[in-house]
Amino acid sequence: MKESLLDIVCCPLDKEELDLEVDEREDGEVLAGTLTCTECGETYPIEDGIPNLLPPDMREESPA
Amino acid sequence: MDLAERRGVETDVYQPAEDSGLLAAEAESRVDADDRVLEVGTGSGYVAERVAEETGASVLASDLNPHACRQARERDLDVVRADLTTPFPESAFDVVLFNPPYLPVDELAERDDWMEIALSGGETGREVIEAFLDDVGRVLAPDGRIFLLVSSLTGVDEVVERAAAAGFSAAALRDESYPFETLTVLKLVR
Repeated sequence: MKESLLDIVCCPLDKEELDLEVDEREDGEVLAGTLTCTECGETYPIEDGIPNLLPPDMREESPA
Repeated sequence: MDLAERRGVETDVYQPAEDSGLLAAEAESRVDADDRVLEVGTGSGYVAERVAEETGASVLASDLNPHACRQARERDLDVVRADLTTPFPESAFDVVLFNPPYLPVDELAERDDWMEIALSGGETGREVIEAFLDDVGRVLAPDGRIFLLVSSLTGVDEVVERAAAAGFSAAALRDESYPFETLTVLKLVR
């Protein structure tokens, strides 16, 4: 993800802003890292450049 | 015959079909270069990519399905994994696009795989559309517009009524008839 994406995403639970912590960067994109809600502290992983902004109870990989 | 057989063999990610083409064609002629666009339920990313390429607008693609997110990212799109519009802030987008899961599902034929989630709108065919309409107004800019694909199998009048209840007026931009359904692109504005 591009860092500019931070302007148009928020915590799915309380809609507050997210802080970015970068683990891996390539060509100006964040490939791996963590987004943390500035209000509730919930964390959202970024893997392979894709932030997973599902609420924690929906995060498992396989469908229902 | 189950849903996967109806739509072909792909079981992880819905691939572009007539509905995708219709939504892309309408959206790309109505999106401006300075619009901020969100496509919900992007699937393979086909519609988002076409709109981004044809209009120059900045397009964010999202999907619940991790396989879809990866396919969309292979098209060089900005992608987030999300449940509908839940992780987006107020008034973030000028345009929201959605080709929703809209088939009414026979519970006996339920499959519990990603393709079913991509196709199924629950018993009425409108469950995902209704959840979408409940929150999309929050993330849409005041003069924003929504392009929503609806099928006759889902009930266009019922969707228009529900949109009205959520504060939107609807206009049908285009209808296309196919052997088993008529597809309509609705434009929703406040």
